[in-house]
Amino acid sequence: MKKIVLTTLIALTPMMAQVKEKIEVPYVAFPIKMGKGFDVVQANCLMCHSFGYIINQGRQSKAFWRGKVDKMIVHFKAPISEQDAKIITDYLFEHYGNGKEK
Amino acid sequence: MKRREFFKKAAVTAGAAALGTTAAEAGTTHQPIDNRKISDVAFPEKRPLITYSDRPPLLETPREVFTCALTPNDQFFVRWHMPDIPTYIDPDKFTISVNGMVNKALKISLKELKEDYEQVEVAAVLQCGGNSRSAFSPTAGGIQWGNGAMGCALWKGVRLRDILDRAGVKKGAEWLAVRGSEKAAYYETPDFIRELHLDELDDHVIIAYQMNGEDLPYLNGFPVRLVIPGVYSDSWIKMIDNITVSDKYEKLFFMDHAYVVPDNECECETPEKKFPKTKPIYRMNVKSVIGYPTNGDKLTLKSQAVVRGVAFDGGAGIKTVKISLDGGKTWEDAILDSGKLGRYAYRTFRYSFKPKKLGKLEIMAKAINKLGEEQPLAKDIKWNHGGYKYNGIDVVTVEVV
Ligand code: HEC
Repeated sequence: MKKIVLTTLIALTPMMAQVKEKIEVPYVAFPIKMGKGFDVVQANCLMCHSFGYIINQGRQSKAFWRGKVDKMIVHFKAPISEQDAKIITDYLFEHYGNGKEK
Repeated sequence: MKRREFFKKAAVTAGAAALGTTAAEAGTTHQPIDNRKISDVAFPEKRPLITYSDRPPLLETPREVFTCALTPNDQFFVRWHMPDIPTYIDPDKFTISVNGMVNKALKISLKELKEDYEQVEVAAVLQCGGNSRSAFSPTAGGIQWGNGAMGCALWKGVRLRDILDRAGVKKGAEWLAVRGSEKAAYYETPDFIRELHLDELDDHVIIAYQMNGEDLPYLNGFPVRLVIPGVYSDSWIKMIDNITVSDKYEKLFFMDHAYVVPDNECECETPEKKFPKTKPIYRMNVKSVIGYPTNGDKLTLKSQAVVRGVAFDGGAGIKTVKISLDGGKTWEDAILDSGKLGRYAYRTFRYSFKPKKLGKLEIMAKAINKLGEEQPLAKDIKWNHGGYKYNGIDVVTVEVV
């Protein structure tokens, strides 16, 4: 009897996944500089990806950051108003900028 | 909790992850950033890895793993584009749809995939086109990977060709659109789809459900992903749920705008003057990475040291790997493994020597493939706006004590 159970089990094994329940993707804390405009960044930029995605670009010029915001709007269809886009660019440039306009 | 709330929660935690270092010298390509910390957070089915983002998950393999021919599943890099990836898939219910210009549309279950088709295996390197992007200066847009957005595994599955034959491709069909199940958080963001020309489908292109003898880990595309040996990983769609055969090529964001390089001889341009015509990245160029020693390691004077690493290319196969200990003035051959994993896999190499002088020592590795193509020095690699295809000679600096 036991033997039969065992063979059926083996036959079934390939159909069972290594993970049999929902996986939980952990949260990682990324350091975020608080400051003017942060609330606007939070409202607009964290809908599609984490903050980690944004800051690992290194320190960059204002034009670079404006370009990124525009890329989000043009290519990924992020619904961001021109007014917010300006605030976000200023925030990013102030905290993750290299001091250069271009 | 809804996803948005999740993000908010994640966003306001101040923490320990480091801000990317800025490029050393403006304008010259240099060694990729190599000192990134391994996170203390382990993602599902993974050991802690270098972590760039949690949503979408972006995890890099640390350098020391690149001494083995097959990268362990729990250390294999992870790269998704969209934050919304299915976190549970019922293997008994999951199906892949094959539709469009076919005689018979199919819905293939995992069981059918494993039982009704010929099962094949291929060892192949999976590398992100943006691997080592942090080498470029000025910063090229995208994740600032070090050398670890790559891995090599033994993939098991079914030839895509066999599946299409079963469905029966109609006359006039030319393109294949393969869709992954990752979803953007916003409905208007383009889906992650890859189009392949039917001519690209050689016998090595498979739909894989196994990686190194185990189920694919969730974060590497469970339950099935595309495997296109020799080709950059943006084509290796994860969690495939749909394949549409068509006679038309549709313009797609990720193929026509994201993973592209200038369509000129050097595949290069300048930040001021971007080259107007682009082409999707495709076949991988020749590359090697030293797994041991790593930057900052100490070697003992006059004691036998063995340099180990991996080398690969887009499928021509590796001919030699050369090592230099004098800044590239002289090169000596490393010993290669038997190559039994095939031309799409890593060739591991080793080179033993006795450090003869105290102090800093630079170890350089250069791979040459069977077509005679060799890795250039980092500084000779020209910039492209996406920071793709970096394959500079690898340099590790150690201290002899
Ligand atoms: C509608 C969704 C969406 C929103 C909203 C959004 N992004 Fe993105 N973002 C994306 C996608 C999609 C990618 C690229 C994914 C990929 O290639 O992996 C991306 C990538 C990036 C990158 C990486 C660099 C690059 O060029 O790909 C940066 C930086 C970035 N986003 C910044 C921002 C900022 C700043 C905001 C707020 C203004 C923002 N994003 C809002 C979807 C979005």
